[in-house]
Amino acid sequence: MSSNLVQLARTHRQSHAPTAVELLSAAVRERGVLTDEDIRATAAATGLPEATVHGVATFYDDLLAPRGRRHVRVCTGTACFAATGGAHAEQIAAGLGLRAGECSDGGSLSLAETVCLGFCHSAPAIRDRDLVDAGPGAVERVLAGTARQAGEPAVRSLLAEPALTGAGDWSGLRRTLAGMTADELLAQVDAADLRGRGGAWFPAARKWSFARAQQDTCRYVVANGDEGDPGSYIDKHLMERSPALVLEGMALAGYCVGASEGVILVRSEYPQSRPVLEAAIAAARAEGLLGDDILGSGFAFDVHVVDGAGSYVVGEETALLACLHGLRGTVSARPPFPAERGLYGHPTLVHNIETLANVPLIAARGADAYRELSPQSPNAGSKLVCFNERFAQPGVVEVPFGLTVRELCEEVAGGLVGGRAIKAVQIGGPLGGILPASLLDTPFDSAPLAEQGCMVGHGSILAFDDRTDMRRLASHLLAFGAHESCGTCFPCRIGLQRAHEEFASREAVDRARLEALLETLEVASLCAHGSGMPAPIRSLLTHFPGELGLR
Amino acid sequence: MQVTIDGVQVDVEPGTTVLQAARAAGAAVPTLCFDERMAPFGACRVCLVGVAGPDGRADVVASCTTPCRADMVVDTCDPRARRVARVVVELVLSELPVTPAPHTELAAVARDLGVHEPRWSGEVHQPDHDTRHPYLAFQHELCISCGRCVRACDEVQGAFALTAVGRGFGANVVAGIDAGFRDSACVSCGACADTCPTDAITELSLLEIAGATEDDPRSRR
Repeated sequence: MSSNLVQLARTHRQSHAPTAVELLSAAVRERGVLTDEDIRATAAATGLPEATVHGVATFYDDLLAPRGRRHVRVCTGTACFAATGGAHAEQIAAGLGLRAGECSDGGSLSLAETVCLGFCHSAPAIRDRDLVDAGPGAVERVLAGTARQAGEPAVRSLLAEPALTGAGDWSGLRRTLAGMTADELLAQVDAADLRGRGGAWFPAARKWSFARAQQDTCRYVVANGDEGDPGSYIDKHLMERSPALVLEGMALAGYCVGASEGVILVRSEYPQSRPVLEAAIAAARAEGLLGDDILGSGFAFDVHVVDGAGSYVVGEETALLACLHGLRGTVSARPPFPAERGLYGHPTLVHNIETLANVPLIAARGADAYRELSPQSPNAGSKLVCFNERFAQPGVVEVPFGLTVRELCEEVAGGLVGGRAIKAVQIGGPLGGILPASLLDTPFDSAPLAEQGCMVGHGSILAFDDRTDMRRLASHLLAFGAHESCGTCFPCRIGLQRAHEEFASREAVDRARLEALLETLEVASLCAHGSGMPAPIRSLLTHFPGELGLR
Repeated sequence: MQVTIDGVQVDVEPGTTVLQAARAAGAAVPTLCFDERMAPFGACRVCLVGVAGPDGRADVVASCTTPCRADMVVDTCDPRARRVARVVVELVLSELPVTPAPHTELAAVARDLGVHEPRWSGEVHQPDHDTRHPYLAFQHELCISCGRCVRACDEVQGAFALTAVGRGFGANVVAGIDAGFRDSACVSCGACADTCPTDAITELSLLEIAGATEDDPRSRR
């Protein structure tokens, strides 16, 4: 990230003023397409150079597709692929008479593709203006102009005392401010072995220690609500139905690392998340749980929300910070790590939403109680998982670690609809490996999943039924990977394009050439997007080689 | 502190990158996105080297953005690092519609690594020439998004006339609001052309200007 541009963003920053990305998004919403005048006005308002703002305008999906008065976005995420094989996107395009990215003459109607709307429990999903319709009949209703808001997923916990599916009662922050030092809280988080739930599994306490060790005392807490993994709706659930848990976790992290300001980046594909979070922030302020002097303790901490604009890679922490600066959401080489130099150049703790939601229980009941949530596993705490629409009982479920994937799929989620057979499941997002039906007895734990080339990741469990064409699945995943590559590092920028071309063509896939691509992506990519995309492809090569058309 | 580069111990200051140490030790580490006048960027991944890990297996890292640690053992000829760097350069050649001119840095790196005809023949960048500026020409299809020009304009000149645009395979670089150098904040310093490793941006000499056609500013070359 250009330190000069970060400096410009910092100099011109006014408290809670919209970012360049948000200003451009607003212009697109109002006028349908960005003009040079919008770029100049945004540059003037933010102090960023005009060329820089133009670069921003060409990066984010939301800023690229022209919008008619009625803007339809069809989800091309993996749960929707598993549901229809992609037919829903074709039906919508044919029915509306537009290709994705087109706007009708006169500007009455426009169509775009989006990944993903987070209604994976009820695929396929289509967003018609700000209404998300999903499930059987959604295509027909959107085409008839009678779209209706889809239902929210079922939520349950397998734990005797749910830790992550409740509303949150702020008892962890109350207990902490009543008599726990920052050092004591850090010791509890360390003893609890809290790991990053976004998929990287990094020890949270190590990040906190790193941020605390910085000389710069202006520090931030950033909550990563850019849950871009197709098939995941865990953070969406937490932001929209347990926002207090997230806010309490942020305040606790802020208390520990000495931050007084928190920022939540919410992806624009979740239009309901921001209003719910802002209402929860206002309620917390009213109760003295956020603000200048929280519960009379002298601790000051407040939170505001910033919108994303359509980019998967913005979920990577350096790209997320770039987006918060209003810049192109591209990845930067680390070091420096965000804990050293993050938001506006200051030490910043960046955590996934679910990671933060784990902190209140640790603060309220201690590390031992947290570790006991998963008695049959070396992993501590519980995990939210979510199941796609292929399952008989899809939804968000809080589970202990250590159940087998089969128990999760067959007992917790009830097997597949109509008794169909599971062909394979992809766990943890698009960078997660794919487990064939023959390996469903693998425990849902980081180490045994890693042995199968899989990961817990962010916790989505996405089933493909026996009708799934695995070559088309490879092509689907790589199309996503190539589309979302931020374009910074060469292996990802070119390699994912070439890998997609291998599978999208009608010709046989050249195995040796593909192996060279996969190794290059794994070894040389700048971030987990490029290095992770080979995992599901390797799974398919291992378990379904006969279906891939290899030579 | 001391680090070992290809078996030779060298003393380095804290903050020294592995690339700086390797070059100080006389090792030839190829790069494409690196220019010592600018902060390291870590985009091209051609400067990969092996660093001995605790388990004996070498980690492959980008040397330009990796700081030296005390007692680090670096192998600039690590077979996996070299193999992957060659594939990266091969991928770069595969995105260009033409072979890079022999005098360019890209062509030199490809020669050094023994990379010739790429195995991939998919989509390539489409010819797109900007010849509106009197002295600076931009052939966008030759751009490999190394970011050197954008960073030179930012870090060396402070003009901020250039930006990366697009993403993924469609990434490129433009001046201003895609208006060309002439209608941007460009001060015609030529820092971008000077650092460009592919001749995507070139400064036109008077001879070239005299002989160039509208479509091909480099026709005299």
